[in-house]
Amino acid sequence: MFFRILKKDLKRKKTMNIILLLFIILAAMFLSSSVDNLVAVNGAIDHFISISKTPDFFAVALTDGITDEIADFLKGNENVEEYEVINGFNLTNEDITITKCQEEEGRTKYERTNVLHLGAVPENFMKVFRMDGGSLSLKSGEIAFLKAEAEQNHLQVGDRVSIKVGEVEQEFTIAAIVKDAVFGSTMMGFKRALITEEDLEKFARQDGLVHTRIYNVNYADKEKFKEQWAEQGFMVISTIEGRSTIRMCYIMDMLIAAILIIVSVCLILLAFLVLRFTIVFTLQEDYKEIGIMKAIGMKDAGIKGLYLIKYLAISIIGAVIGFFLGFPFGKAILKQAIVNILVDSTEQNVAINFACAAAVVFIVLLFCYLSTNKLKKISAMEAIRNGSNGERYQVKNHLKLWKRPKMKPYFYMAVNDILSSLKRFGILLATFCLGTILILLPLSAASTLKSDGIIYSFSISPSDVYMDTGRWETYIVDMDLLFQDMEEIEEKLKENGLTAKTGADIGYMIPCYADDPKDKVTYYVLQAVGSWDRHYALLSGQEPELSNEVMITELTAKELRVGIGDTIHFGTGDEAKEFIITGTYQSMMNMGQGFRVSRSAELEKEYAAGIFCLQAEIEEMESEEACERLREIFPDYKVMNAEGILDSMIGGIVEQIDLTTIFIVGTVLMINSLITILMMKTIMTKERGDIALLKSIGFSDKSLLAWQTARILLILAAAIGIGTVLSNVLAPFTIGPIFSMMGATSIELVTNTWEAIAGYPVLLFLVTGVSSLFCAGGVRKVDLKEVNNIE
Amino acid sequence: MDSLKVRDLCKTYIINKRQNNVLKNINMEIKQGEMVAVMGPSGSGKSTLLYTVSGMDHITAGKVDFFGRDMSSLNARQMSDLRLDEMGFIFQQMYMLKNLSIYDNIVLPAYQSKSGRNRAKRKEINNRAKELMHKLGISEIAEHDINEVSGGQLQRACICRSLINHPKMIFADEPTGALNQQNSKEVMKELNRINAEGTTVMLVTHDMKVAAKNDRVLYIEDGNIKGEYVLGKFTDKQETRERERKISNWLMEMGF
Repeated sequence: MFFRILKKDLKRKKTMNIILLLFIILAAMFLSSSVDNLVAVNGAIDHFISISKTPDFFAVALTDGITDEIADFLKGNENVEEYEVINGFNLTNEDITITKCQEEEGRTKYERTNVLHLGAVPENFMKVFRMDGGSLSLKSGEIAFLKAEAEQNHLQVGDRVSIKVGEVEQEFTIAAIVKDAVFGSTMMGFKRALITEEDLEKFARQDGLVHTRIYNVNYADKEKFKEQWAEQGFMVISTIEGRSTIRMCYIMDMLIAAILIIVSVCLILLAFLVLRFTIVFTLQEDYKEIGIMKAIGMKDAGIKGLYLIKYLAISIIGAVIGFFLGFPFGKAILKQAIVNILVDSTEQNVAINFACAAAVVFIVLLFCYLSTNKLKKISAMEAIRNGSNGERYQVKNHLKLWKRPKMKPYFYMAVNDILSSLKRFGILLATFCLGTILILLPLSAASTLKSDGIIYSFSISPSDVYMDTGRWETYIVDMDLLFQDMEEIEEKLKENGLTAKTGADIGYMIPCYADDPKDKVTYYVLQAVGSWDRHYALLSGQEPELSNEVMITELTAKELRVGIGDTIHFGTGDEAKEFIITGTYQSMMNMGQGFRVSRSAELEKEYAAGIFCLQAEIEEMESEEACERLREIFPDYKVMNAEGILDSMIGGIVEQIDLTTIFIVGTVLMINSLITILMMKTIMTKERGDIALLKSIGFSDKSLLAWQTARILLILAAAIGIGTVLSNVLAPFTIGPIFSMMGATSIELVTNTWEAIAGYPVLLFLVTGVSSLFCAGGVRKVDLKEVNNIE
Repeated sequence: MDSLKVRDLCKTYIINKRQNNVLKNINMEIKQGEMVAVMGPSGSGKSTLLYTVSGMDHITAGKVDFFGRDMSSLNARQMSDLRLDEMGFIFQQMYMLKNLSIYDNIVLPAYQSKSGRNRAKRKEINNRAKELMHKLGISEIAEHDINEVSGGQLQRACICRSLINHPKMIFADEPTGALNQQNSKEVMKELNRINAEGTTVMLVTHDMKVAAKNDRVLYIEDGNIKGEYVLGKFTDKQETRERERKISNWLMEMGF
C-alpha cells in the first residue's frame, strides 16, 4: 500500500520531485567538492613548502664571485643546522632574447616585470616541480621557466631563448615550465630561470661579473643565529625569514581559492534553502491528502514514514549522483583556484566526498523529519483545510488595492503576494541578496586595485610618465649610472622641446632597531632621488625633511613598537645612525614593511638593493600625450602611465580577481536563473487555480505574465538594494583585512558606480527577467477549467 | 436580440484513446434579458455546455454567437476582454484569491478593465462596489479575509465581483450548490434582481427551487437538449410553489 502511494506520488509530482533531485545533486556535488578543496588547499601550501624544502631563512646578496663573506659566516656556524648557496645571475632585459617560438621565427624581446634570476637546478633547498608535480632534471642546453614568466612571454616547452651573461651567449631550449614554492606566488617579485650546473659554470667562469647568490639556512638555534646575523650587518638585497612569510605571499592565490570556496559554501546554503522550501511546499500541497489519510484512520507515524521513505529514496539517488559529479567539478574549481600551488590528487579524499554526500542525505531527512513534525499537531480537518484552523492573529492583507488608485492590478497583486508570503519569497530574496554580495565584494576589491588612488598605497608620488630602462640590476652596482641616465633623459627631452624633471626611488636593505641593537631586523628603506621634488601620502605626521628624519609604515611601527617622535637606528655597530620618526604611511610594497627617509639623508650605498620607479614629470603636458612623446624619443625604454606601472606591479592580481569576478557573475546568473525557474514552476503549480480564476474574470495572458514576472523582479530589485548596502558594510571586514595583510592598512575601498549600480544589476535583471518571463509563459497553458483546482 | 446563439455545438473528450462525446449538436438561443436554467442528471453535460458557450472551454465543432459575435473568431486577447467587460461568472465553489481582501477581490476585474485604469473612473468603481455590497448585504465583510466569512457571504461576494463591470450576461455553475437553503434563497433573490435590471443569466442547477425562479428551463441528457419548459418571468413568492410543481411534473415527464 505504502509503495503504491509512493509510486503514484513520484509519478504525479514528477516536476517537483525532479526539482528536488536536482538540488540534492547540486548540494551533494558542491558540498563534497568544496569541503574536499578546502582540505586540499589548506594542506597544499604547507605540503608544497615542505616538499620543496623551503629554508628557515634565506638571503639574496650580490658578490663578485670570488670573495663571499656570507658563505664564510655560514660555514661551520654552530647555530646553523644546514645551509646551501645557490649561485646565479640577475638578468637584465638585454641579457635574454626569445630566439625561436614554436609559432614564429625571429628574435623577440623578453618582457619581464620581476627580477629574473638565472641559477642552477636546486638540489637541496628551494626545489621546483614540473606542472604535473614531477621533479625537474635538465640536460645541458635546456632551460626551465616559472609558470608566470612563461605565460607573460607566451613561452611553451620547445621554444628557444638566448641568454648572454658578460661576453658568453648561449641558446637554450625550454624543457619545462615549473612551479616554485618560494618564488612562485603572485606577490613575489623575484622569479627564476633554471639551467644545469654545467651551463651555469660556462657563464660563471668569466671575471668581473656580479653574481647574485641565494643563501639558504636551516637554524640550529634561531634566536642566536638572528642575533649573529644582525650583528654582521651584511649587505643584502633581500632577506626572508620563516616559512610563514612565504605562506603569506600566497595570500592572493589563497584569496582566489577562498573566494571560490565561499561561493561553493553559498551555493550549498542556497541548495538547502531551496530544499527546505520544496519539502515544505510539497507538504503544504499534500495537506488535503494528509487530512484524508488522517480522517480514514492512518497513524501519524505511518503518514510521516510515507514522506521519509520518499525523501530517503530521492536523497540517496541525488547524493550518489552528486558524489560522483563532485570529483570532476572539484578538480575543475581547484585547477582554476590554485595555479601556482602544487596540490595532491583529490583521489585520496574519497572518504571526505563520501562523508559529505552522506551528510546531505542526513540533512535532507532531518529537514523532512522536522517539517513533517507539523503533521502531528494538525487535526484531520485542519489538514483538509490546507493547514488553516480558521484563526488569524495578524492582518494578512498588507496593501489595499482601492487605496492605491495609480497602481496597476498586476503590480498590486505582485506586491501583495510578496508581503503576504514573506517567508516563501524570503528565500528568493536571500538568494538574490547573497548573489549580489558575492558579485560586489570582489568587484570592490578589483575597483580599489584599479583606482587612481591605489598608487599612493605603494608609496609612489603620481607622475606623468614611468620608465623602465631595463637596467635596474646594473644601477644597484653602479648608482652613478642611474643619475647619468636621469640627466640624459632630461637633456634629450630638452632637445625635443620638453621641460621635464626626473626622479627615482632607491631601495636599501638596512639592519634597523629601535632600542636594543640585539633586536636588529633588516628592513627596506626608500629614498627619493633626482631633480623632481615630490611628495608622498601619509597616514599621520609629516614627511621627513631633515637628514635624520624618517617616516615608517604602520605595520613596521607596530612591529617595532614605535611611533612619531621615537628614534630608530639604521646600520650596525658604532656606525648606526639615529633617525627621528616624523610620520606614518602605508605601502603594499614588501608586504607593508619599511621606511622612507628624506632626500638629504645619507645612507651607505653598499646597502642598495634595488632601484624603483624611474619617473618623469613633463611641464604643461597631459600624461597620455607625454607617454606618446617619450615612446618616440626613447624607443628602447618601456614608457608607462600610472595605469601601466600599476599593471606591472599588480596586473596579475587584478587579472585574477577579474577572472574570479567573471566566474562568480556567471555562477550567480546561473543560480539566479535556476532558482527563479524552480521557484516559479513550484509556485505556479500551486497557483494554477488562481491563474485560471483570473483568466475567467478576464485577465489577459499578458497581464498574468506581468504579474508573475513583476514578483520576481521586485524581489530582485529589493535584493540588489539590500545586497549593495550589505556589501558596503561587509567590505571593510572582508576585503579590508586582506589589503591590510598586503600592507594597505588604511585603504579607502572604491566602488565603481557604473559597474556596481548599473552594469551588473542590469545584467542580473536581464537574465533573471528572461528566466522569469520564460517560466511565466506557463500561464498560457493553464486551462480555464482548472479554476476547479483552486484550494 | 439573442444574447447567445448556439448552432451544432459538439464537445468531445478523448479518454484512454476512446472518444467521449459530451455535447452532441446542441442548438439553442437565449434572448437578451432572459434567465435560463439548465437541468439534467449528473454527467449529462450541463456544466460542459455552460463552459463551452461562455468561451471558458474550447468547442470541438459548431458555432457560438455572443451578442452577434462569433466567439470562435476571437483571439485570446479579445476573449479576455470579452470575459472582463461583457461576461460575469459565478462558480459553485466560491473561488477567490486568498491573498486579497473580499473588497479587493470584488474590485479587481474593474481595475483591470481598460476604463478602470483611469483614476476618476476608479472612484466610480469603488462607489459601485460599495453599492453592490450594500445591496447584497455584505458591506461589513469588505476588509475580511476570504476564510473568515460564511459560504453565503462569499457567494454573494462572488456575485458582486461578477457584476462589477456591468456584464451583459452572467454564467452561473450551480451558484447555490454549496449553500444552505437560506443562503440559497438570498443568492437567487439577487440573481433575479440582476436579471430584472436587464442582465441575461444562464445557470446550471440540480435544484428545482432554483430552476423555478428562471424564465425558461432546458433539460439536457446524454449531451442533447431533450426539451425546454417556458415558465415566464418570475414575479413573487406565491408563484414559486406553482412554478416548482410545474417544473417537477415536466421533469418527471422527461425522465429526471
